Amino acid sequence: MMKTDPAMTCVLVLEDEPFIAMDLGFAFEDVSVRALIAATCAEARQYLADEQIDAALLDVNLGAGATCEPIAAELEERGLPFILHTGDLDRVGEFLRRIDAPVISKPACANDVAAQLLDLIDKPAA
Amino acid sequence: MRDDEGLESSNQAYLRESNELSESFQKSARKRFSGASGLLFEQAMAQTRMAVCLSDPRQEDDPIVFCNQAFERLTGYDAADIVGRNCRFLQGPRTDPEQVQRIRNAIAAEEVAVVEMLNYRKDGSTFWNALHLGPIYDDEGNLRYFFGSQWDVTDIHLARSEERHAKAMAREVSHRLKNVFAVIGGIVNITGRSLNVREAAQSINSRIQALGRAYEPTLDDAFMGTIEIGQAIRSVLKPYDPAGDRITLEGGEVRSEPNAVSTIGLTLHELATNALKYGALSVPQGEVFIAWKQDHDAEGQRILNIDWKETGGPKPPENPECSGTGLSIADTLLSYSRGRLERAWEPDGLRATMTLPLSA
Repeated sequence: MMKTDPAMTCVLVLEDEPFIAMDLGFAFEDVSVRALIAATCAEARQYLADEQIDAALLDVNLGAGATCEPIAAELEERGLPFILHTGDLDRVGEFLRRIDAPVISKPACANDVAAQLLDLIDKPAA
Repeated sequence: MRDDEGLESSNQAYLRESNELSESFQKSARKRFSGASGLLFEQAMAQTRMAVCLSDPRQEDDPIVFCNQAFERLTGYDAADIVGRNCRFLQGPRTDPEQVQRIRNAIAAEEVAVVEMLNYRKDGSTFWNALHLGPIYDDEGNLRYFFGSQWDVTDIHLARSEERHAKAMAREVSHRLKNVFAVIGGIVNITGRSLNVREAAQSINSRIQALGRAYEPTLDDAFMGTIEIGQAIRSVLKPYDPAGDRITLEGGEVRSEPNAVSTIGLTLHELATNALKYGALSVPQGEVFIAWKQDHDAEGQRILNIDWKETGGPKPPENPECSGTGLSIADTLLSYSRGRLERAWEPDGLRATMTLPLSA
């Protein structure tokens, strides 16, 4: 069970594929959690600067060779929990190994993804 | 690295051969340059297919003082063009400076080294050269020459890069396929929500995603034209057993046409969904055993046989309703591929047997 009050929870979703982003957005809406959807690292960084974020879901490959690595680094620095969401476990293998975060392999059910991220907020930091 | 084994070992075999030749060359060279067995040495040098040269490090800029015919053939230069020059004339714009540095280091340290580098022939064409070099000492132990033996390994390089390319392509396709399935999932969910049929959308989605999982592992060996069924079975069923202790899978390698995967994947998905709702996976202690094997029907045609056995589930119903919507979809699908799904309720749970013809 989620101990965190969903109404007070805010998550960041970094996802460049609009349909997946929208689906995830709805999944968080279903559990009354506020989700900020960013399509680029710059947008995500802006949200991180402006908003109180509890956890993040990061799509690994953001198109044109860009990855979520800078945002992952910032989240790590701030001690915020996050999950990596990717369809390509091989290519980002090195990067994934370096970052100590759970990985959900795409495609995954949006509701499950949302639930896993919210679980992470409730878990005490490792 | 594992996949490069074949190439590696051929490379190693070549290196071994190169070592032996170089050693024997070194010995003959010693004899030759101490004055004995000159003729034998000349003959061996002329006949070997290995390109060999000697340079004299005591002269200014370490010029080549000897090369054999194989060296002339490999590089396209005549001995007259070669002797007197430092061997760097074989290098060109795309030669890796790091490898050149390794040669320099080996020469400076009077060590044996094996270096692979891109070299240029007289006509400007390139070849991958596996260069084996090392010092030769005279009887007093003074450095006299450096030998270099060259081997054209362009074929090995090409095969390696083609294999790498094929793998990169397979990975890219797999990545895109997963993304396509993720996007389809998003579209189905969003549409279901807007039409107020979320449950229907979810069950459509779970079938689509099962299909995606079934196809996903087949990409790795797609170039073979057939796919390995065990991988598809494992991948389809994985989400129903996240801890890996409820479903036991057993079966050897069975290969099939890729299009059989949709039928197999969807049927297993329906069986697993049913088990999750009503069968062994609906209670904590229930388990499912799945075994598959290749068999032959009465006409001798290859068939796939998948045995599905549930144990420890809830008591089977008095009047078992063996065909839910999901399983009737599986039945229909199987009938189109002239397969069958037989179901029977045994005291400890459902027992189902799926048979599907595999094309030759």
